[in-house]
Amino acid sequence: MLAISAGGVIVWIVWVAAGFACLASGLAVVSFRNPFYSALALIGNLASLAVLYLLLSAEFVAAAQVLVYAGAVMVMFLFVTAYVGPRQEPPWASGPSWQTLAAVLAAGAIFVEIVVVIGLKAGGRLETSPSVGSVFGSPGWIGRLFLTDHLLSFEITSIVLLVAAVGGVILGSHTRRSTAARADAAGEAG
Amino acid sequence: MLGPGVAWYLGIAAFLFATGAFGVLVRRNPLIVLLSLEIMLNGGNLALIAFSRHAANGAGQIFALGVMAVAAAEVCVGLGLVVALHRRRLALDVDELSELRG
Amino acid sequence: MIAGAWLCLWAPLAGTVLILLGGSRIPRRVDGWIGTLSVFVAFAGALWSFFGLHANASHESHYSTAWTWLAAGKLTVPFQIVVDPLSTFMMLVVSGVGGLIVLYSIGYMDGDDEERRYFAYISFFVFSMLLLVEGGNMLLLLVGWGLVGLSSYLLIGFWHERPSAVAAAKKAFIMNAFGDATFALALFVLIAHSNSLEFATSFATASHLSQSTVDLVALGLLGGAAAKSAQIPLHTWLPDAMEGPTPVSALIHAATMVTAGVYLIARTHPIFEDAPTIALVAAGLGAITLLAAGMIALVQTDIKRVIAYSTMSQIGYMFMAVGVGAFSNGMFHLMTHAFFKALLFMTAGLVIHAIADEQDIRKLRGVGAVMPWTKWAFLVGAAALVGIPAFSGFFSKDPILAADLHDHWYGVVFWACGLVGTFLTGLYTFRLYFIVFPGEPSPFVREHHHRHHGKEGPWTMLVPVAVLTVLAAVAGWIQFQPFWEPITHWLSPIIPTEPAAEATNWDDAITSLIAPVIGICGIVVAWMIYGAKQRLAVPSIPWLQNLLEHKFYFDEAYDLAFYKPAVATANLFRRDFEEPVVLTTGPDLGEGTLELGAATRKMQTGLVRTYVFFLGAGMAVLAIVFLLVR
Repeated sequence: MLAISAGGVIVWIVWVAAGFACLASGLAVVSFRNPFYSALALIGNLASLAVLYLLLSAEFVAAAQVLVYAGAVMVMFLFVTAYVGPRQEPPWASGPSWQTLAAVLAAGAIFVEIVVVIGLKAGGRLETSPSVGSVFGSPGWIGRLFLTDHLLSFEITSIVLLVAAVGGVILGSHTRRSTAARADAAGEAG
Repeated sequence: MLGPGVAWYLGIAAFLFATGAFGVLVRRNPLIVLLSLEIMLNGGNLALIAFSRHAANGAGQIFALGVMAVAAAEVCVGLGLVVALHRRRLALDVDELSELRG
Repeated sequence: MIAGAWLCLWAPLAGTVLILLGGSRIPRRVDGWIGTLSVFVAFAGALWSFFGLHANASHESHYSTAWTWLAAGKLTVPFQIVVDPLSTFMMLVVSGVGGLIVLYSIGYMDGDDEERRYFAYISFFVFSMLLLVEGGNMLLLLVGWGLVGLSSYLLIGFWHERPSAVAAAKKAFIMNAFGDATFALALFVLIAHSNSLEFATSFATASHLSQSTVDLVALGLLGGAAAKSAQIPLHTWLPDAMEGPTPVSALIHAATMVTAGVYLIARTHPIFEDAPTIALVAAGLGAITLLAAGMIALVQTDIKRVIAYSTMSQIGYMFMAVGVGAFSNGMFHLMTHAFFKALLFMTAGLVIHAIADEQDIRKLRGVGAVMPWTKWAFLVGAAALVGIPAFSGFFSKDPILAADLHDHWYGVVFWACGLVGTFLTGLYTFRLYFIVFPGEPSPFVREHHHRHHGKEGPWTMLVPVAVLTVLAAVAGWIQFQPFWEPITHWLSPIIPTEPAAEATNWDDAITSLIAPVIGICGIVVAWMIYGAKQRLAVPSIPWLQNLLEHKFYFDEAYDLAFYKPAVATANLFRRDFEEPVVLTTGPDLGEGTLELGAATRKMQTGLVRTYVFFLGAGMAVLAIVFLLVR
């Protein structure tokens, strides 16, 4: 299991570090009281995930993760969190209620099941992975796949983004609020 | 492949997913809920990338990119909702926002 | 010739459709003319096919198929018509008399609010009757059969605000439906043994069946014929059917529909020849009916009901004729009967129309003084009905009796019944005449009689009556057995007279001498009892009077045997099944669903976390299940 080579050792060290960072930041996200800190923890999580993707020869996905997720999505999150203002919420309000307990159980169950599947049920199939060429995971290779085998999903994703943009604009626009205010005023006047 | 086998990555992915699920179930602030949702999605992404590497098939990475796009879209709409809630001076607490009940 | 037959069939239907589609956009008067013209066009078509067939050297049956109507497994039934001597004969009678009556209706129904509906129905009736007589196979005949039953129901109950009319319509329809059912059962037996219902095939099939089976088929056909033609025991609907307008009584219940039974027996005569017992039953039914109806007519006080019972009686004669095998005699009597019976109904209609719709003869006295022309027309019809020499009834009724005379031993019995019937006919017909027409008008008549622009009725009513008067007087001369018999010759390729029913010259002579004498005796007795001087009093026999006034208690018997048990059963089901079970199940189901819904509603807490929790928990459970089942 342990690769006995310099490259292998470095990979292992990087993997342990990134993995640890990933897990810790994940726990941090759900634990902090201040949403701002949670968002920052998520940025750390995304960065460590990008490292893990690099270890799995998915260079383009790692780059996209940093650019899109950490760069765009999280910035948006931070903006909204700042806009909404400070809010403190005790995560373990008045001791663990039945909901918290049940949630722990459910999440734990899911985790255990997945581990069981990976460890026991998969048999020996997950032991070794074939080696891949250098083109695997490269942007050009991904781009070619997008435009040939997976063109439909590519196009549909663009539509999803368009819809989301429109939805975001509508949700965030002022007109609804002013219409409601004007209606209230008219109701009171009339 | 150098380093740990695919199974270890899957283990991390499982842990992330479970953590995200826990966060969604327990936290009351919708912003934190959305963040936990992101954790879950990332866990899924990691699993996809790992399998893609294991099977030497590019579809997993394509799928992961799709998930990323959809997650971005979902965050956009979700944050729009949070902003709208905040504008109307409603409580940012998922337990308070329960008008759609039977 | 074929085209003429198709024209004859479709013209009245076109009239109906036009009237129905036009609705209130077409003025009522115009609808009446549409109906009349459609039937006259049909008559023209009938003439065309008649002359076409006549010119054709071999007067055989010509079939023409429009499309395949029914194709089920082995059975195929095309929509086909037959043009042969018998069908053209019937087409002429139906469309000719029908056209005159529809013309008459224009005057009679003038002013009625629902005139349009009437003319739509009556055109539809003419179409159905033509389908019946032109149908080229048994099934199409049955279709026409059913449709005339429907038209009869619609027209009897035309004035549907009257409960008595509605009840009469239902009664007619139900009794006819019984006949339809037996008819259909007979067809089922035929279908079971062959895969076509064309006439020739059906007759051939029947001849190969066992005696009991063919008896069954014939009995089924006879059941249908008896119901449609109001023979005992399925006769009680006909007097009640007088609730409909008088032209309807004239057309449906005198000239055409009720004669459909006779037509059926004539058309399917090979089957009856294979089942001589049933044929005898048919003749026997006819004999019984003609006597019973004649007797009941003696005590009726409604002018239309007397004529209705007279119809029943005369159809009894026709049944007697076709029962013993004298088919063309029966058809000839059908034709002359159509003329003089329609005439009688129409003159009665003139009286009713002019005197405030009154039908009770106790109030209608001395009508002849104010309506002389009607009186003479009625007299001609009555003379034809009784069979006075030179009028049409004489030429058609006596050959029927003559044909019976030498037909086995029972022929003499039928002959005697027929003669007694002739006496009764003279008696009841002229009872009616002497009560209603001669003498001083009663106060009621004086008060309510009104002239129509100085005449006894509108021209649309007078012209048909005039035409029928002429026909009733002279149409009989067309066939004078045994001297000249064009009708028998015309019909012989299709319905040859059975050898046993061939009357010898001697039979003809004896009958033609005795029958009119007996008829005139009846007239004389009527004159003595009901005439001006009243030389004779009506013998008072209370039990007989009661029996006749209650029409031999048939209605009461059917009420007891069928109606009351049916009502009791229906009530039983309603009380013990419908109310406790069916009517509570519905609401119970509804309430149960509501309760279930209310319980399920509690799951909708509105809290996002609960939903997500269930999602997660469910997923976990499912994953365990899959892992185990694997």
